[in-house]
Amino acid sequence: MAEKQKRKIAFPMVARYNEVVRYFVEEGLQQTYIMQPQMTRRTLKLGAKYAPDMVCTPFKTVLGSMIEALEAGADTLIMVFGYCRLGYYGELAETILRDLGYEFDYLNLAEYSTGKKKDYLKAIKKLNPDAKAVPMGKAGLDGLKMIEYIDEVESYYYQNCGFETSKGEYRRALNQFTADLGRAKNRSDIDDAYDRCMSRFHEIPTDKGAFPLRVGVLGEYFTVMDEFSNVDLEQSIADLGVEVHRWMNVSHRNIHYPGEKNLHPRISKYCNYEMGPTSTANIWYAKRCAEKGYDGLVHVKSAGCTPEIDIMPVLQRIGADYKIPILYLTYDSQDGDAGLQTRIEAFYDMIEMRKKVIR
Amino acid sequence: MEDVYMGIDVGSISTKGVIITKENKILSSEYIWTEGNPIGAVKKLVRLLEKQFDKENYRIVATGTTGSARKLVGTVLSATVVKNEITAHAVGTTTFHPDVRTILEIGGQDSKIILVENGVAVDYAMNTLCAAGTGAFLSSQSARLGIPVEDMGEIAVKSQHPTQIAARCTVFAESDLVHKIQVGHTKEDIVAGLCQAVVGNYLNNVGKGKKIQSPVVFQGGVSKNIGVVKAFENQLGCPIIVDPDGHLMGAIGAAILARRNKERRVFNFDVEDMEFITREINCGGCPNNCEIICVYRNGEMIDSWGNRCERGDVAARKAANPNAAAV
Repeated sequence: MAEKQKRKIAFPMVARYNEVVRYFVEEGLQQTYIMQPQMTRRTLKLGAKYAPDMVCTPFKTVLGSMIEALEAGADTLIMVFGYCRLGYYGELAETILRDLGYEFDYLNLAEYSTGKKKDYLKAIKKLNPDAKAVPMGKAGLDGLKMIEYIDEVESYYYQNCGFETSKGEYRRALNQFTADLGRAKNRSDIDDAYDRCMSRFHEIPTDKGAFPLRVGVLGEYFTVMDEFSNVDLEQSIADLGVEVHRWMNVSHRNIHYPGEKNLHPRISKYCNYEMGPTSTANIWYAKRCAEKGYDGLVHVKSAGCTPEIDIMPVLQRIGADYKIPILYLTYDSQDGDAGLQTRIEAFYDMIEMRKKVIR
Repeated sequence: MEDVYMGIDVGSISTKGVIITKENKILSSEYIWTEGNPIGAVKKLVRLLEKQFDKENYRIVATGTTGSARKLVGTVLSATVVKNEITAHAVGTTTFHPDVRTILEIGGQDSKIILVENGVAVDYAMNTLCAAGTGAFLSSQSARLGIPVEDMGEIAVKSQHPTQIAARCTVFAESDLVHKIQVGHTKEDIVAGLCQAVVGNYLNNVGKGKKIQSPVVFQGGVSKNIGVVKAFENQLGCPIIVDPDGHLMGAIGAAILARRNKERRVFNFDVEDMEFITREINCGGCPNNCEIICVYRNGEMIDSWGNRCERGDVAARKAANPNAAAV
């Protein structure tokens, strides 16, 4: 009998994490992974055309990149869930895609979010009933390590790339890292990619001065992490000569999340209950940046993101209490980048002039 | 021969220019309409500034541009500084009013609030989605009422009982206004109501959550409307300072920033005779299809922008290989 046809699995584009899903699908589940193209305006246009108008922008990009994955030949889509409207997005996306006439298998993780770990095994069994526990467990652990590496590299990158003495060195090292991860077949490939990138980073000459400007970036989970969605926000700020810090990433929020019950006591002056999936963490991080004497905060959300709108008054209080300027940015599908650039530049000028006076 | 500095502020509605000395004395200043043609407006502006300018004793050594067309005009004028309008306004205003705490600014298409402490900006906000509460709203309504927009302020202050007009949104305000006209409210009351609507909209959107402290300086084109100034004084309960040069503050700020910057490039008014054109091309390097603007001086490309990656860096490619076919 011929070998059973492998599934062609795809996952919506999310920041740099798709390589992790690819690794798990190929090495753990022994199936084929389909990598759709990086998101472009076409992705957003496709998503905006078929999505409800008032839904938040991340749904539109996710839907668009699902369509691009199906166009690239995927026959199975995986969709994640979250504790805001995202919990419902998996179902909504499936309905829209089926109405459009696409045929595919769909794994909506929201259907398995019972809180019991063994239910996730059921989800995996759906993708490959013959999946073996040992390679799968191993690939799972490698994948988690990969996420940590990606987050560490990105975080180092944005804290330093604004100060390189010859333009583009950091970006080249980062691109090399992403390409290396794309070829990784086992744990030592992953470790090598990370080691090579970090040692290259450390060799790049930088000129930081004694008191570099430091800005903390926080906000809605998807938009704040995905550079297509936030129109290269962190890069634009870093390019002005700023250390850009961001706590929000998959390692911090999902793998090593301290949990609301540990975070709430640290922000009890501002907030005592959970307001949304990332609200507690964002309030805590804003307060921490303020206490550490950062020069400014940038709060990012997509239009209509209720949890992030809700924390804005709290951030305003933190801003007033600690005298830290906060720039609030709202992203929508029809945003040009001229207005964004004006606001970022003005914010930079403000914190820079302010720092000179304070010091 | 004394060194002086030029600042140009090209907004959506009006184009402003000044030439100032080291002591912030204004040598020439001009205010004209942009009329949807920033390059044409700036060439006209430069010609008008030149007429007032004493070339025998002064020399322009640095040029700053600001406003929404700052990049385009900065390229055309070979400016030494291209700065966003928020910084330019903050710098200009704090130079002339060192003790200012709050700067209110209402222009043609946008409005801003800048909070100042110890002479530096510490917080700002800018209108995002809606142009209600800007000059464009007032000028479209003045056309409906058949009143020149310049006279609106004088008419508004005559009113004893300003009409209540819904100010949340331009579209709602307009239908409310039509209704109030048809039921017989007088013109003065309606104009005064409009001025209050602009102020209400501004304070509820741009000024939301901001602590407005005295001294307050109000500028931008709308600050010339005495009706709006009075409405601000009523709602904020403090005196509002309107600088006679308030409409030029962005341009003055740009000139001061050009002076503070180290770069020097003598400006000799020859742009008047040059021909500038812009062309928009779609990159086509990937499905993102960035819209790239190319600027040509006398038929030669001098700059391009709008690309999100190096594939679309048309000007750099052109510079690397000048003999390639024109893009």
